[in-house]
Amino acid sequence: MYTEKVLKHFKNPHNYGKIKNPDGIGKVGNIVCLLPYQNIHINNNLREINKISRENSVLSHKGRYNRVDKVTKRIYKGRILTIKNKLGKIRLTPDHLILGIKVPQGNKFLRTKNRKGLISAWYHAEQLKKGDIVLYPILKKEKDLDYIEINIPKLKWDFKSKEIPNKISLSPDLLKLFGYFLAEGNIQDKPTRTFISFTLNIKEREIVEDIKKISKNLFGLDVTVREKPRVKTVVVYLYSARLARFFKQLFGNGAQRKTIPDFIMNLPAGRQKSLIYGLWKGDGYVNLDRDGPRAGYCTISYLLAQQVKVLLLRQKIAPSIYTEKEKKIKGVNHKKAYRIHIGQRESLFKLCSILNIKYNPRSYISEKSWFDDNYLYVPVTEIKKEKYNGLVYNLEVRHSHSFTSESFCLHNCGDVMWLYIKVAKNKKGQEFIKDVKFETFGCVAAIATSSIITDLVKGETLKAALRTNKDKIVKSLGGLPPVKLHCSVLAVDALKEAVYNYLSKSKKKIPIELQEHHQRIKKEKKLIKNKYKDWISAEEKMHKNGKKINKKK
Amino acid sequence: MVEHGIRIAEMVVRFHLGPLQKFLNSGKNMIKKNEKTKKRQIYLDYAATTPADPRVVKVMLPYFTAKFGNPSSSLHSFGQEAREALEKSREMIALFLGAKSGEIIFTASVTESNNAALKGVVFANKNKGNHIIISSVEHRCVLNSAKWLQSQGFEVEKLPVDKYGLVGPEDVEKAIRKNTILVSVMHANNEVGTIEPIKEIGRICRKNNVYFHTDVAQSFGKIPINVNEMNIDLLTASSHKIYGPKGAALLFIREGTKIESLLHGGGQEFGLRSSTVNIPAVVGFAKAVEICQEEMEKEAQKLTKLRNRLIKGVLEKVPSSHLNGHPKKRLSNNANFWFEFIEGESIVVELDSYGIASSTGSACSSPKLEPDYVLLACGLKPSQAHGSLRLSLGRGTKEKDIDYVLEVLPKVIKKLRKISPFK
Repeated sequence: MYTEKVLKHFKNPHNYGKIKNPDGIGKVGNIVCLLPYQNIHINNNLREINKISRENSVLSHKGRYNRVDKVTKRIYKGRILTIKNKLGKIRLTPDHLILGIKVPQGNKFLRTKNRKGLISAWYHAEQLKKGDIVLYPILKKEKDLDYIEINIPKLKWDFKSKEIPNKISLSPDLLKLFGYFLAEGNIQDKPTRTFISFTLNIKEREIVEDIKKISKNLFGLDVTVREKPRVKTVVVYLYSARLARFFKQLFGNGAQRKTIPDFIMNLPAGRQKSLIYGLWKGDGYVNLDRDGPRAGYCTISYLLAQQVKVLLLRQKIAPSIYTEKEKKIKGVNHKKAYRIHIGQRESLFKLCSILNIKYNPRSYISEKSWFDDNYLYVPVTEIKKEKYNGLVYNLEVRHSHSFTSESFCLHNCGDVMWLYIKVAKNKKGQEFIKDVKFETFGCVAAIATSSIITDLVKGETLKAALRTNKDKIVKSLGGLPPVKLHCSVLAVDALKEAVYNYLSKSKKKIPIELQEHHQRIKKEKKLIKNKYKDWISAEEKMHKNGKKINKKK
Repeated sequence: MVEHGIRIAEMVVRFHLGPLQKFLNSGKNMIKKNEKTKKRQIYLDYAATTPADPRVVKVMLPYFTAKFGNPSSSLHSFGQEAREALEKSREMIALFLGAKSGEIIFTASVTESNNAALKGVVFANKNKGNHIIISSVEHRCVLNSAKWLQSQGFEVEKLPVDKYGLVGPEDVEKAIRKNTILVSVMHANNEVGTIEPIKEIGRICRKNNVYFHTDVAQSFGKIPINVNEMNIDLLTASSHKIYGPKGAALLFIREGTKIESLLHGGGQEFGLRSSTVNIPAVVGFAKAVEICQEEMEKEAQKLTKLRNRLIKGVLEKVPSSHLNGHPKKRLSNNANFWFEFIEGESIVVELDSYGIASSTGSACSSPKLEPDYVLLACGLKPSQAHGSLRLSLGRGTKEKDIDYVLEVLPKVIKKLRKISPFK
């Protein structure tokens, strides 16, 4: 599990113990190693969070759905951040943890070569800057299904409607039809007249023919086509009450409330291609002649837009999502809509191959966002600060203790680390760390990171020491298991706190960055203290008992 | 010509012996290296798994090669031979449990047995009700099977335990309802070693006409078990915890129990578990049981003595240390502690460097960063479970091993506490 270097530092830790009369002490972490279920703080802009209840499942950073155990809310007054990337935006408190990568300064071009050294970890929201990368998980759950049953019984007095099969194969054609329906379909459900209709542009003959063919093949039903040249539309009717009720049950009715059912979302990615084909033919467009070639998809259903995003991510296609406000064009009311754009070269290429469109890309390979097997890596495009006063919400999620909001992953954890420093001046008159020692309560990784950070900063000037980041620590240890990466963050926090402590004690000027850092840690401590009062009192008791035992010795 | 021939011979030698020589040399080096780094190795994680007894391996060997037949092909002598071995093993184990041989089926693991028991009984008795009772300290395979059943619409009730990890029989009685199908309580806990009062629970279940299942993976071969005296309807046990091979386990199903099978196929194991039986493993399992039967009493006495010495020694020599689980009602081979101010993963890794294999319930050692649920159920705070250490003894444990642990462990704890800010 651990590298040799980690074990070496664990076995024989360097510089452990206390310094008497230190110039600075940094105390970080909490003994409650149980992950303090991180809060997601979202205001009414993303109201969906307060609609989440227990029994709902949310997408975790591991790309699986996990059950929500608890939803709590509290009043928060203070600064919040709005972080944007191309998948959307999120508002949260600055101490929040996000799964991401801090891009080193000067490392502007993230070609493959430069990406290799980047390690992802949980960062506090306020640590991230424009241009840093955040990770978004790809849905991993997969469940193949060959047939679906039409579980709507034929009504007693229904002698008129034609027989349709009870069980239909979940074929590419059917998925395509589902796509068309999600895009263009509508259901009328009245006792005497229940049917499905597709409203299309008069030019979309190709789709009309396709629907005709599919419904004949799959259900043995003939469609009725009515052209309305005056409004430039053509309507395709599928008269089957059972089928209409079945579709209504699957997808919901009304353009604003349409959703894709779970069993389709969980199909293997390869089979979902036909659905995307249908959706795109209906509501989407591809414009390759434009200056920046792009494809787009538009819907007024929020949920459908989010689901299409998940579907596209599984195909390793990177979407951007925009919200369009309600507006009036030529006297016609347009509702609030969600636009999905695909402009990135590889993504567009993949989409075109699904849609059977020829595309010879001429643009450059994208540098700023990329996929691996588990995540989409996208840069932060904007960070805004604002004041907020109101309710914030928390979710407690089973198993992974993390969940994905619209566009980011959130999470948290801790151990205890105390770092002591002694500061002196060198020949040039610069302050440097003359001596450093640590005390750590924690696992192998926590002890090893503490040990290595003392090695790294001993003898360094304060300025140079503050440049030590978690990547440097992880690298010097020859790597850490992913679940233990937070330990390296803790070590950096402890060092920064120690330097802050020294500067504030000696009444010297403290860099703004360090001040902000200190504020964040202070806030975090308070938060955990409030949350885990009982445990912390038990801890203090333990502490006292320990002192007694030590005195006895 | 001759010269040429010699040259070829030379080439052959070089070509073939070169690598061979290298290989041989490397072998020598390897042995030397091993001798250099050879350190004392003490295995104290017998609750996780045990080595196979050489006597067990010996009886298994012919069934891999000479006696390889399939017990289902009973028309020829190869098959008959295998069938005979299978039935003899079954009889041997049935006798050990006080069961009939037709009540024992062989599976591949305790996880499979527990799945088969829970899901099988519950689905076969759907008509009776949809309520299941389990204890909160069951093994993960029972907990997660129950969780799955919950998702299938069954109601699962988890019984709390006291600070020692004991389930109260009166709690079971209170929890049983009209629509209760099954009660599942383990015999001995894998983490803290507490022995549950399954005899009383069995009596209560019998009185209320509810099926009683017990997982005896940890206690099998260590404590005498009789399915009739204890009123057990279903029981699961494993081979690799009693010095048998891995890949064999059993499920006892009392005659007349309504149960569905998980695996459908050729109808082996009385139609309850279709699969070609793993004959070598089953034969080994039976031999392991036979050995246990002979040595159980003596071994329990020996291990209890060693364990008491270990517990007493650790609590005496290490300040601020505590015992988890029941002081008396515990398995003869289990000792579980928690130490203040330090973390369990560190202890385990440090002990490993002294050649001692152990285990912890610390959150840091689990992939989910969650503390062990058994310790939490016993009322430990997460920060206390954080510093837990399990030492489980076994057949190979000697007195001098315990002395060694008692010499090393205080040193290790002291060293880690020196690093810790709390002391």
